Amino acid sequence: MGKHLLLFALLFTITAFAQGTDTIPATDSTEVVFKKRVLETTEVDILSSYYKQQGIHSAVGGGTGTEELTDATADIIIAIPLNDDNVLTVDAGFSAYTSASSGNINPFFGGNTGASRRYGNFRDDDDDDDDDDDDYGTPYGSPWVASTGASQKDVLTSISGTFSHSSDDRNIVWTANASGSIEYDYHSVGFGAGLAKLFNNKNTEVSVKANAYLDKWKPIYPTELHEYGLYGSDFLTNGYFNGVPVLDQYGEGSSSYLPTAFRPFTNSNRNSYSLSFGFSQVLTQKLQASIFLDVLLQEGLLSTPYQRVYFADRANYYIGKPQYIPVYTSAENKGVYKLADDVERLPGNRFKVPIGLRLNYYANDLHVVRTYYRYYTDDWGLRSHTASVELPVKLGQRFTVYPMYRFYTQKASDHFAPHDKHYSFEKYYTSDHDLSSFDSHQYGGGFSYTDIFQSFRILYFGLKSADIRFSHYERSDSLSSNIITIALKFVQ
Amino acid sequence: MERITCILLITIALGLGSCSSVKEYEKQYINDPEMVLNAKSSERYETNFQVYREGASGANGGKTGGGCGCN
Repeated sequence: MGKHLLLFALLFTITAFAQGTDTIPATDSTEVVFKKRVLETTEVDILSSYYKQQGIHSAVGGGTGTEELTDATADIIIAIPLNDDNVLTVDAGFSAYTSASSGNINPFFGGNTGASRRYGNFRDDDDDDDDDDDDYGTPYGSPWVASTGASQKDVLTSISGTFSHSSDDRNIVWTANASGSIEYDYHSVGFGAGLAKLFNNKNTEVSVKANAYLDKWKPIYPTELHEYGLYGSDFLTNGYFNGVPVLDQYGEGSSSYLPTAFRPFTNSNRNSYSLSFGFSQVLTQKLQASIFLDVLLQEGLLSTPYQRVYFADRANYYIGKPQYIPVYTSAENKGVYKLADDVERLPGNRFKVPIGLRLNYYANDLHVVRTYYRYYTDDWGLRSHTASVELPVKLGQRFTVYPMYRFYTQKASDHFAPHDKHYSFEKYYTSDHDLSSFDSHQYGGGFSYTDIFQSFRILYFGLKSADIRFSHYERSDSLSSNIITIALKFVQ
Repeated sequence: MERITCILLITIALGLGSCSSVKEYEKQYINDPEMVLNAKSSERYETNFQVYREGASGANGGKTGGGCGCN
């Protein structure tokens, strides 16, 4: 398939060039040629969103547990014309999230290494019954309850800059970009360059873009594995586990828990390299299309260090209240957490080939049809199809409403198995349901306002457009989410 | 299935490459803001969460890497 897609990329590049370049008449060196500025004035885009999700297959919980997550984001994008030909675009933003799932890296209420509000020092017992579920002499947790550990929330801060240069005839555009992002346990540095060429009276555009991202983890492991990595086979009598009762499947005390499969990762780098081809074509006065082909290679630490895995051929051990062991995988479990056998192990490289097609049709002065299709394949065995349609309806010159629908279907990665279904002899394993087989449906719509005269002004900037969109997402494995986004564009 | 997909894509490529030229003054519909061939800026965050919650990514003219996406 990879060979076919490469052949396809070459084919569409050749067919584009075969249309010939525009012939630019030779000009006398003294002739004055009018050249329109690429960007007339500074433009400022302000974007913000709020995302909320729920699900029952927490990857941190080894494929079971709450996936509650909220994420608030804001970005500002400033495009500055440096001269007639050059534009500098700066994009800065943040994403602040709270995640019940990643909060359960240390799921235990109590102990020396994590949240210590309850164990040993939380003995309210003032007979108002507010502590009935908490007055328990050992630490406990549940994959269905969010821990208050430090990893429950984090902020991703990012910044990127893109410089673009257009040729005098505006048929060639060069770009160079650099980016960086940082969060508590991860940071990323990226850079790249691109070239776009327009042909055929600007009816055809061919582009190529190369990017590299050099990322680095600061690996954080689930508490029980962290302690095992720290103290070795004596970890049950040291550190967090010193004096903490470990239970077996029957709720009896046990000292047999030993996660021997676990070893800390020695490589904390994750590098991504991409080569993107683009081809767009005006087909008729009302129809245009584009094709995108990406070739992506990732290498390094592609596993997420805090996502637990449980082996079916290993005994289960718990910390917490034994009465909840029989209902461990249901939300009824409010007080016991299963100790991991290992974290997920994934290959050290991944080769991805997605190819996408957009087709937009101007049906009439009221309706436009926007469509998108993508086929994706990678060498982890994951295959997917994506199709979406958006139907903008114009309500006068300034207002547009657009309903949208997106369908996605995915075949699981070869390395995925659900909770407690992997075996210890496997080389690679993950219970992250984002890599499982599922279908998803996304419904939504938006409302946009455009004012070319920018009659609404703030300081030196006029509002050119405003867009608000909402969508609801449902995955066949019970994950669902909602997102609302606001986008404002101001021009100087 | 893969063979059919390849044949379809090659046919599309050849078809796109053989289109006639539309003059600049005939592009009033093509230049409509809703006809833009890239994803809209307001789709950025939806694309982000799709990349996080699904195994596939890319081929949408947007970002192709960088960042964890692991929450």
